[in-house]
Amino acid sequence: MQMERRKFLESACRACLLAGAGLLISDLTACNTSSKITQLPISQNTISLPVTSFLNDPIQIVRPDGWLYDIAVRKTGTEQYEALLMQCTHQQNQLIRGSGAYICTLHGSQFSLDGQVKKGPAELPLTKYSTRIDQGQLIIQLKTSTR
Amino acid sequence: MSSLVLLFIFYTETTQAQQFTTTNAQKLIFTNEDSLNAGSSTQKTVISGYGSAFYQRNFNQQQSVMTLERAVLFLGHQFSNKISFFSELEVENAKVEGGVSNNAEVSMEQAFLKFNLNANQYLVAGLFVPRIGILNENHLPVNFNGVERPMVETLIIPATWRELGVGFYGSSEKIPLNYSIAVLNGLEGENFEHGTGIRGGRPEGNLASANNIAVTASVQYYWKNFKFQVSGYTGGTVTLSPKGSDSLGLNSGAFGTPLYLGEADVQYESKGISFKALGVYIAYPEAGKMNTVYGNNTATGMYGFYAELAYNWLHKSNSKASFISFARIEALDMNATIAAHGEGIYDGTEKQTHLIVGFGYLPMPNVVIKADVRLLHTGPQNPALIINPQPNALPYQQNNQFLNLGIGYSF
Repeated sequence: MQMERRKFLESACRACLLAGAGLLISDLTACNTSSKITQLPISQNTISLPVTSFLNDPIQIVRPDGWLYDIAVRKTGTEQYEALLMQCTHQQNQLIRGSGAYICTLHGSQFSLDGQVKKGPAELPLTKYSTRIDQGQLIIQLKTSTR
Repeated sequence: MSSLVLLFIFYTETTQAQQFTTTNAQKLIFTNEDSLNAGSSTQKTVISGYGSAFYQRNFNQQQSVMTLERAVLFLGHQFSNKISFFSELEVENAKVEGGVSNNAEVSMEQAFLKFNLNANQYLVAGLFVPRIGILNENHLPVNFNGVERPMVETLIIPATWRELGVGFYGSSEKIPLNYSIAVLNGLEGENFEHGTGIRGGRPEGNLASANNIAVTASVQYYWKNFKFQVSGYTGGTVTLSPKGSDSLGLNSGAFGTPLYLGEADVQYESKGISFKALGVYIAYPEAGKMNTVYGNNTATGMYGFYAELAYNWLHKSNSKASFISFARIEALDMNATIAAHGEGIYDGTEKQTHLIVGFGYLPMPNVVIKADVRLLHTGPQNPALIINPQPNALPYQQNNQFLNLGIGYSF
């Protein structure tokens, strides 16, 4: 009975490792995670960046001058963009960009790329800023925000 | 008519009383949502928390228990954009009465000040959980699979491992890399207990010795859908003064009689599939000297590793609900190596394998219902450690099974 249990556990362990290795190989084509941050000046409660910034990476992390929080700007479609404040809605901690999620290291909250809660304790989605395009520039309005 | 007048007077006075009984302090205490609606206010107090309760059936002992495992209250306050306070007050197993605990505990799990240096870097000072392993920072029941926390991160990495000290945390602006380094109070080697690794030596902010200190550091790196982490810890374990320790033949000082811990882990998540693996090793070269003095049979080497595979069957649905099934295999040995010359006694029961299979249903990310089965296999008992032999005690069984049912929440 003991030997059977041992063999069973060894087999289960091998299966887990094989599955892990399989996932590793299958994921090689997935997109990379970049965390380059662009500092931007604030002008009339707006920040702007060229829409060409999104050619290589659909997500750009920007930091308005003097802010302690970054904004994740994501291209969601043709001339469609979404700007999210990288501030945890649980206890206002800064978020970091993880793999397909924004992560709070304080209590483990996670938000999907569209700002929805993936893991608690946060309950509310990320703060969203309105955007518009003007002469090839993506303008992010900092003053008004929604969830 | 007179009744109406009386009613009006009563209403007016009640309303005024309610207004006057709202103190300034109360005005600062918002609910989670209120504080968020306060937008960019520089004064915010947030109350939140988490908790868990479970039922466990031990098939060998034919015993079942139920307990409110944890109820934790978060209290945080933002003094300004740069300075915040965070705390977690925990009650374990529901009831501490008249100093009698019955495994219950009331403790501060965290209480620290956070100083934002910029958007990428901050300092913490106080009682906090250093970044060691996966669970220590992410110990909320909604964020790990299984009713019980991983055994390796309970018996080898003694999560939730919090100590007093100062920590520096940051992330790179160029590459997806996070780092941390912290200086903490050291462990109390005299309180290590046979069977629980180094867990008993954590002062956890309770009049911790500052004669010995510890340093811990970590690096995290994100690549594709993976997250990699390595972390390390080294610290002194003798809390005595130089005179006291000299007389006992122990090395004292900041890093005297050191303990080293090294850990590495990887996590993956994509398309509803998640995988995590962790390995940890603890070296305690002078454990023999400590055993000679304190007789607590601590090992010179301990290890643990686990791997977990999980799948969220609802990942394609638009709902916020998750139904996660998982399997985790864990192996650990709390006496992988022992001190020579009879300064340590090997105990096969401390070499354990756990296989956990179960599921968790989260109707929303903040609430979970869990169920799992844990199969345990250990090495044989060392006859030299049997104090109460048969027939007074039942023979030791190397295999056991547990059924766990639990609930958890966080907000």
